[in-house]
Amino acid sequence: MKFLRVNMTTQTVQWEDVPKKYSTLGGRALTSIVVNSEVPATTDPLGNENKLIFAPGYFTGTTLVNTGRLSVGAKSPLTGGIKESNVGGTVGFSLAKLGIKAIIVEGKAADESSFVLNIEDEEVATLVRSDELKGMRTYAVAEKLHAKFGESKSVTCIGPAGDFQLLSASIQSTDLDGRPCRAAGRGGLGAVMGSKGLKAIVVDRTGRVSEEMANLERFKQASKAYAKDVKADEFSGEILPELGTAVLVEPINAAGAFPTNNARMGQFKGVEKLNGETMAKLIKERGGKTKHKGCSQCIIDCSNEFVTEKGEYVTSSLEYETIWSMGGMIGNDNLDAIARLDFLCDDIGLDTMNTGVAIAVAFDAGYGEFGDAEVAIRLVEEVAAGTKMGMLIGNGPDAVGIHFNHDRVPTVKGQSIAAYDPRAIQGMAVTYATTPMGADHTAGWVVDQNLEAFGGTVEPHGPKGQVEISRNTQIHMAAVDTVGICDFAQSGLATDEGIGNVFTMMSAKSGLSFGEKNWAELGKTVIKVELEFNRKAGLTNKDDRLPLMFYNEPLPPYNVVVKVSDKDMDSTFDY
Amino acid sequence: MKALVRLYGTLPEHYPDNYPDGGLEVEIWENISVAELVELVQVAREHVAIVSINGMLSKADDVIPDGAQVKFFQSITGG
Repeated sequence: MKFLRVNMTTQTVQWEDVPKKYSTLGGRALTSIVVNSEVPATTDPLGNENKLIFAPGYFTGTTLVNTGRLSVGAKSPLTGGIKESNVGGTVGFSLAKLGIKAIIVEGKAADESSFVLNIEDEEVATLVRSDELKGMRTYAVAEKLHAKFGESKSVTCIGPAGDFQLLSASIQSTDLDGRPCRAAGRGGLGAVMGSKGLKAIVVDRTGRVSEEMANLERFKQASKAYAKDVKADEFSGEILPELGTAVLVEPINAAGAFPTNNARMGQFKGVEKLNGETMAKLIKERGGKTKHKGCSQCIIDCSNEFVTEKGEYVTSSLEYETIWSMGGMIGNDNLDAIARLDFLCDDIGLDTMNTGVAIAVAFDAGYGEFGDAEVAIRLVEEVAAGTKMGMLIGNGPDAVGIHFNHDRVPTVKGQSIAAYDPRAIQGMAVTYATTPMGADHTAGWVVDQNLEAFGGTVEPHGPKGQVEISRNTQIHMAAVDTVGICDFAQSGLATDEGIGNVFTMMSAKSGLSFGEKNWAELGKTVIKVELEFNRKAGLTNKDDRLPLMFYNEPLPPYNVVVKVSDKDMDSTFDY
Repeated sequence: MKALVRLYGTLPEHYPDNYPDGGLEVEIWENISVAELVELVQVAREHVAIVSINGMLSKADDVIPDGAQVKFFQSITGG
C-alpha cells in the first residue's frame, strides 16, 4: 500500500511507502492522525498549510461487504477544528484496489487555476490543468471527466460552492451509475478542496492490488459470516432496501424529535406527505427505483432513484436527513421540492443539512416563510449564482444568523444539528455537543437506546445514562469509521458473535491479536487525537455547548429542554 | 371501545391481509396496555420496537384510550 502525496503548489505527485506506524490504520484514524501530525492546528483552514486527506477504510478493498467507504479529513473551515467526513460510492473501493492507503493533498495552486488529479493506475497519477471546470456543477463535471478519461472512472469533485470556498461546501463522489450524488457533506471540506485548486479526482476502477492480508482464509470466513448477519437482519436486510433511511421519519416524528420550523416544534404536521412509506410508494408508482445499489460492495441497497411524474430522473438517493433538512426543518411538505433541493445541493456541491438549516434560520428570521419551497429552491440556486444571499446560505446557519442578528441557530461549533432534536433525545445532545466534529449525528447515534424497547432503555427526556451511552457509541463509531464499515451494515456487528467477526478480521488482516479491548482503544485513540488537535486549534470546553435555544425553549409536544449539565458534558471523554 | 392500529416500515408486508392502508380498527377493553394491544392484534412482539398513541411515544404499560390511533414501528438503525 502507498501514500499518494500531491503538492498543489508545485503541481507534483509523489508515491511514498506507508510508514509502519500507519500500517494497521485506515479511514478516520488515518485522516485524523495525519492531520494532527502534519497540519499546524492554528493554521488558516483555507490556506497553504492545511492538508486534505482521503483514506479508504482499513477493510475497504477486502472481501468484506459494505466497506466501500472513503474518509476525508482536514482542518475544517466550518468548525475551526479537525474534521472527518466519509462517503460511499465507488471511490474508496477503487483507491484501495489500486493499493492507495491515502491521498494527501497539500499546498495550493495559484489563484484561478484548477486541476484534476487523474489516478490512472497503481503507479501513475498526474495533475491535469482544467481551468475550464472551475465553477462548473458536479453533474456536468462528472460528464466531462467521464467523456475525457473514460465512462467507467470514479469521479470525486466539488461544485461551485467548493470553488467559492463556502463553509457548507461538500465533496461529491460518483455512485455505481456514475452520478456524483454521494457526499462527504459535512464540515466544509469542499471549500478546502477548492482552496487548493483541486476540482476533481478521477480514479481508475480496474485496480487489482491484493490487500496485505496475514491470513486470507480466516478473513474470508469471518467476512462471509458478517455478510450473512447483515442480510438476515430485519433493518438492513428488509427495511432499508424497501424504504431507505426515510423509514426514520415517522418514528422520530412520533418521538417529538423531528426538528420542525427551525426546531420550534418536534413534530411536523405534514409528516405523512414525506415519510418513507409515502416516498417509496411514489417512487414505485412513477417508475423510479427503490432497492437501488449506490456503493461498491453493498448488499443492502438502501439507495433510491427519485423521479418526476413523467418518470424523469430527479435525484439519488433521497435520504432521511435531507427529507428533514429540506422538509420539516423549513416547513416544507412537498416531496418533489425536497427531491429537487437534494439534487441542487449535490449538483452545486453543498451539505444538505447545513444548507437546509441555513434556510430554516433565514425563514425564522423573517426572510421568506416556513413552507415556501420556491424560495428555498431560489436560495440554493443563488449559491451557484454567487449572490450575496447565496453566499450567506452557502456559508451555513451561523453566517445567516449573524447577518440577520438572529440567535436561534441550531449549530455546535458552527455545524448544524441533524434530524434529531437534542431536547427530545438527550443522548443526541451529548453527541452534538461533545464530538470533536461539531454537531454530527453519525459520531454517536444513540436514538435506538432512547426510543426502542417501547420508549427507550434510557429515559429520552432525562439526563440519566446519556453521557455514558454517547461516550460508548462515539468510541465505537470512531473505530467503525476507521475500518470503513457502512453505518447501515452495523447489524453485522450488533451481537457478540458479530463484533467477534470484526475482531477476527482485524486480526486476520494485521497479523496481530485483536479483541474487545483493542477495539475500544482504537476508538479512544482516534478521539484523543482529534481532541488534541481541537485544543491546539484553540477550541475549549466552552465550544462543547449547545445553543441556548435548546436549554431555554421547551420543545412541543413534550415541552422538554436539554437537562444534561455542562459538568456532565465535560466528563464525556474522561477516560 | 375501539382503537385504530397502523403499521409502518415493512410491517404491513408481514401481515398483508390484516391491515388496510388506513389501519385496522380493533375492539379494545378498558385499561388495555400497549403490550396487551400488540398481543391482541397478533403482531409478533419482536417486530415492534416503538409504539405511539395519538402521535405520542408510549411505553409498554401505557393505557390505550378509546378512539386512539396507535402506530407500530420496527427497530431502527441510523447514522
